[in-house]
This record gives sequence, structure tokens and C-alpha cells, in this order.
Amino acid sequence: MENRNISQLALERIKEEGIKPISRNIFSIKRVLFWVLVAISFIIGALTFSLILSALFNNDWDLYNKFGFSFIFRTLPYFWLISLAVFTILGEYYYRKTYLGHRRGFILIMGVYLISTTVFGSLFYLIGTGRFIEQSLENEAPIYRHIMLNRYEVWSHPEAGFLSGKIIRVMGEEIEVIDSNGFIWIINMQDVYLRGRVEIETGERIKIIGRCLETICIADEIRPWIGMRKMMR
Amino acid sequence: MVNMESCDNKTDEELVELSLKDSDHFFCLSKRYEEKLLKYIGRISKFSREDAEDVLQEVFIKTYYNLNGFDPELKFSSWIYRIAHNEAVSAIRKKAVRPTIHLEIGDLERFGDVFDMAGDIDNSLDRKMIDIALSHLDEKYREVLVLRFLDEKDYVEIADILKKPTSTIGNLISRGKKLFKEEYEKLIGVSV
Repeated sequence: MENRNISQLALERIKEEGIKPISRNIFSIKRVLFWVLVAISFIIGALTFSLILSALFNNDWDLYNKFGFSFIFRTLPYFWLISLAVFTILGEYYYRKTYLGHRRGFILIMGVYLISTTVFGSLFYLIGTGRFIEQSLENEAPIYRHIMLNRYEVWSHPEAGFLSGKIIRVMGEEIEVIDSNGFIWIINMQDVYLRGRVEIETGERIKIIGRCLETICIADEIRPWIGMRKMMR
Repeated sequence: MVNMESCDNKTDEELVELSLKDSDHFFCLSKRYEEKLLKYIGRISKFSREDAEDVLQEVFIKTYYNLNGFDPELKFSSWIYRIAHNEAVSAIRKKAVRPTIHLEIGDLERFGDVFDMAGDIDNSLDRKMIDIALSHLDEKYREVLVLRFLDEKDYVEIADILKKPTSTIGNLISRGKKLFKEEYEKLIGVSV
């Protein structure tokens, strides 16, 4: 049987059907889009890492003895750890979709991604980005409190002497604090130790260690909600 | 129609640029790969020559349609082989046939050299055995062995054609060779 001239047939079909190559712009956009997605995944990954560092460094590790080993599991920043994992996987996936991204192995891409995320995330943490984002989310996104429920949970045990909330009124040596359940507490600060750069003023979120009964707490210690240093506003 | 001789001294990349300006030049480009790709499609499918030619025609149409997507960072041959591979795999799935290898005499010699069994593969029975042994391999091993030893592509080219990491290709080839030898020895009943 005689072989067909496939090249000739293909060319004839191209001409007959008026087939035109797809615009170069479409391919350029597609290529840029994947690099943009890689960059977005990386930046969010690095910011997430800075939030993890912020959560770990600002955790109340001194309470470990009071709560025991469960303290670690109760206060780990699960949401941010999961987010970091998700954006690492997305970063790897989008990188693989770039024009020559398939040539690199999974372990190499993940390794480079994680090292870069760690370096840039640490820089973000050092310049205060992690705490700034956390503070902004605390103030502007109510859903964030539900996401970080485990941290609130540790500080929602007035019967055990652990309370947190926002100062709504300052009255000399007493303040009024509203907790996450909407209860208002009167806090006596006569012999209080102010830990870190906490400022006793309306709107400030604080953590209190003391002895509480009904709606009154005798505070032994007050510390800022995030970190031991006051955030710039 | 473009004269084929006028294309001879042009690179693939130059022909791509010319084809984008005038589709007639695409004839030179497709002609350059026609025989190689037809063999490749035949090797990785159970298709008759006619069916393989139909697949190849689609490969050329897709290649032309996506010509602006070709970036010289990649070899043109890797790029068009990737299109051919995808089109062949898609056609195999549509026809719901188990892909197998269709070996020719030249292919057999190349395989013999690689696996140190040149003396043993001079008859059609051995050819059939190699064919069967390859067919028994998992698709991921079969496709890299075909590209490496029959189409004589290097690791980076295979990585670009199959869109897999270069390190993975190395592992697949090494493992594929071992598995192929085991299969072949099982079939002929002696060690090679």
C-alpha cells in the first residue's frame, strides 16, 4: 500500500479549514500567570511562616507547667501550619506548570520553596509583619477568633484564674473587661504585675491571671494579648 | 508550495518563525519529522499504519495551531514529540487498546546493543519476545525505554516530552531496563 503524504494532507487541511495559530499573547499570558501564581503562593507562604513564628514566640510558654503537655497541642497555630502546607503544595504545583518546571524533582522544588519561605518568613517576622497581620486580623476579622479558638480557649477559664478580653473602662485601680462570651468582668489591679509592655487603656486586649469569683477578678498578672511588646497602631 | 531543498539548511526554530508568517513553510517542518513521528506513534500503539497516519495528521494540525506556544528554551523535537505522545495516548484511550510496541529490524538491533543480546535477536521469534516483554512492562517504563533506546533521546529530552523531572527519567530508565531483562529472560527461559 502506498504511504500517504501526511505533511501534505495536514497542510491542505490547515488551508481548507483556515486554521490559524493561537495568538502568542495567549501563551505569554498563560506563562506569566503561572509565575504570578508561584509568586503569590510563595509570598503568602512566607507571611504564613512569619505568623507561625509570631504565634510560637509569643506563646505563653511560662504557663506550660500549669497546663502540662496538653498546653503545646492547645496552643499550636494549626490554622497557619495547615495554610503553610497548602501554599507549599500550591507553590510546587504552579512551579511545575511553568514552561520548564517539569524538569525539577518534587523534593528539590519543595526543598527550595521551604528554605526560601523560612528565610523570607523569618525576615517578615523580624520586621514585625507577622504580629502586624495577626493584630489586624484580630481587630478587623471576627472570623479569625473562631479560627484561633484554641488560643482563646486557654484564656477562657476564669474559674482556674485565666481570663482574656478587651478593656472597656478604666476606673483607677479597677478596670472593666468584656470577654469573648460577652461577659463583663471587674478586674482589681491593686497588687498586679504588668508583664510586658501592656497598656491599661480602653480598647486594649489583655490576658489576666488571678482569682475570679462571679464577676470580679483579683488580678495577679496582666499581659498583652499578642506578644509581650505593644504593637504600633 | 515551498521547495524542500530551500528548507534543508534552516533550523527547526527558523522554520517555526517562517511557518508563522507563511503556512507553506510548515510543510518543511512537518516533513522533517513525518517519518520519525510515524515510527514513534507506531511503536507506542497497536495502530495500523493508516491509523498511525491519522494520529500524525492530528499531531501536525495541533502543532501548527499551537506554534506560537513553542519556546526555543525547549528543543523543537521535544516539543513536537510531546504533542505526538499526548495525541497517541489520547487515541489509544479512545480506542481502548492496550498499547504495545511495534518493532522494526533497526529497532531490534538498537535494543540488542543496549541489552547485550545482539547474537540472540536475529530471528522473528526473538523480535516477538522483545515485543511481548516490552508490552508486559508498565506504561511508565515502556515509554521511557522506547524514547531512550529506539528514538535515541537524551534524559532532558525525555523529561521534556513526558513532562517529568529529569531525575525521575533516570530512575525509570534504570528500573525499566532491569524489568525488561527479567521479562525477556522469563520468556526465553535463559539468562542474557
